[in-house]
Amino acid sequence: MGETNKQVPVTVLTGFLGAGKTTLLNRILTEQHGKKYAVIVNEFGEQGIDNDLVVDADEEVFEMNNGCICCTVRGDLIRILSGLMKRADKLDAIIVETTGLADPAPVAQTFFVDQDVADRTKLDAIVTVADAVHLSTQLSDHHEAEEQIAFADVVLLNKIDLVDESGLEVVKERIKKINPFAKIIHTTKCGVSLSEILNLDAFNLKRILDTEPDFLTSDHDHEHDDDVTSLSFVSDTPLDMEKFQDWFSKLLQTKGQDILRTKGILDFTGENDRYVFQGVHMLMDASPMGKWPEGKERNSRLVFIGRNLESMNLKEGFENCKSA
Amino acid sequence: MKADSNKFPELNKTKFENRGKEFKLGIPVTNAITIGNSVAVGFGDGTVRIFRSGQISEVIKAHSGVVLSISKDGEDILTGGDDGRFLKISLDGEINEIANFGSRWVDHVTAYNGNLVCTSGNIVYLWMPNKKEPKLLEHESTIGGVAFDSKGRRLAVSRYGGVTLWKKDYSNKWSSSNLIWKGSHNKVIFSTDDRFLVTSMQENQLHFWRLKDKTDSFMSGYGAKVKSFAFVYDSKFLVTSGSNEAICWPFDGNGPEGRKPICLPYVGNKPVTFVEPFPNENAIFTGLSDGSVFLSEIEKSTNTIIIRSFTESEVTTIAVTEDCSSILIGDIGGNILWTSIWDEEEK
Repeated sequence: MGETNKQVPVTVLTGFLGAGKTTLLNRILTEQHGKKYAVIVNEFGEQGIDNDLVVDADEEVFEMNNGCICCTVRGDLIRILSGLMKRADKLDAIIVETTGLADPAPVAQTFFVDQDVADRTKLDAIVTVADAVHLSTQLSDHHEAEEQIAFADVVLLNKIDLVDESGLEVVKERIKKINPFAKIIHTTKCGVSLSEILNLDAFNLKRILDTEPDFLTSDHDHEHDDDVTSLSFVSDTPLDMEKFQDWFSKLLQTKGQDILRTKGILDFTGENDRYVFQGVHMLMDASPMGKWPEGKERNSRLVFIGRNLESMNLKEGFENCKSA
Repeated sequence: MKADSNKFPELNKTKFENRGKEFKLGIPVTNAITIGNSVAVGFGDGTVRIFRSGQISEVIKAHSGVVLSISKDGEDILTGGDDGRFLKISLDGEINEIANFGSRWVDHVTAYNGNLVCTSGNIVYLWMPNKKEPKLLEHESTIGGVAFDSKGRRLAVSRYGGVTLWKKDYSNKWSSSNLIWKGSHNKVIFSTDDRFLVTSMQENQLHFWRLKDKTDSFMSGYGAKVKSFAFVYDSKFLVTSGSNEAICWPFDGNGPEGRKPICLPYVGNKPVTFVEPFPNENAIFTGLSDGSVFLSEIEKSTNTIIIRSFTESEVTTIAVTEDCSSILIGDIGGNILWTSIWDEEEK
């Protein structure tokens, strides 16, 4: 995903029905005076949206014929974003609201796969609105709820006035176990400063360096196979680039359907630059991002979010990439 | 950030620019349609402007958003907009709203002999002459494009998974059959001899069906999505954008299968963004991402002349008047060139 000033940021709002997506949307639209937003809503939205430019979308998920088995995109978004880019009045941002049961992967993948979309817009962040009261049950009952947490850059944990402190801790732990990167913001009625959810540039590789996510090594208890969890690894020994590329590309090719998101900062033997990457299923954005800061320890850090991670021998695979 | 490595050589204005009229409107040009010796142009602010020889009309405030699609019915302009309106506009600027779908966009419009068609979402709305209510043709997914064949008896509707081919019998009943190919199909056109149907896809390729036996195949090798393509010279060639050359596939005989295309290169080596046939000639106008436009003979690639030098904005439309006397070029930056094709002495 290239960077130019002309790219219009796109914020994706996900979350289960009743979590408060529309409340958040209306909040954004009423508070940002003087900005021109386009809002793409799904046809099942119950409440009205108060904005000049509201576009109805159908959430059409298309498979791409590019040999990548889990590569799906949102066809309606490609069409609508391309149409919006022809407008004479320039937009400050685009907000995409998804239905409660939507999988965020096709939305995110659209920005990797479609060149026109990538040239003119950029995925700013995925913001997931979660209902503090019902999230635990939803996570157990619907894999879509897990995916929405797994893909989130920000989780707006809403309706916290309706749970007690220990209940809140349980929900927070559950979110962190699925997604250690996501920033969790507590709200009632989606009361949040807009600077915490808009213009985050969360998919920019530079931001991965800035935010220094929680790359702690973690040893999880064996989870139920279908649960989405995360695993992270750290190595102080530099990695062998060829070995890493071999292992990682094979891993994504064979297990990409179960690996929802990956992020990493890598230290390769003989390379002066830090390598940063982030991926959604099999799609990957990677680049050297300048030299390691002086006086700071060089190490490699890698996080996976997905299902059945225990079965992928990730630890062994990562260990084997260390330079001899 | 701009790459300067392949910068277009400094050129003086072309003779076409010198004798024509240039407009720097600053509004993205989205599409255009030739009506006789006039050209109607759609813009990203919802306006339509009509260019006649020697003059342009007043601005017609047609839509409140983008003019997403443009076509014609006889002497009238048809437009679809992202304000959900399907309009019929006379050359005098009189607007007649045929339908209004609110927040649902009108993505595609076309017509044949008084049969007016627009699409919104997954539905084709077809108004037959003298009928007030449209006939609704529903599809499983959002429509990527529509096209009538040359006799108006078949309507091709591209979508996810292939093309639905609607056929009208002599009692005006429509029935459909499916041409299936995996993936998302966008623009669709019939060859001018109605023997072939071609679609552009979400992937960087085109698909085609030979209609007599429904055999199909694809044309690939493109570096970008193919957004502009057209049949040239009685369907001898299909010319396409999507590469740094104009790719011309042979469609005479049994079509392009197993044959190589002719590739026409241009100065500057920039992506081709728009192709437009020169009527009744084996020649094309080619518009590039830097705004330059060339005229080339397909089988004599040395015969290429430059019509417009670069503007730094990608060419989004080229239209030639019916008498081949004038050409209109528009780009995403809102620059328009409206000029005569021939020198005074050549006429």
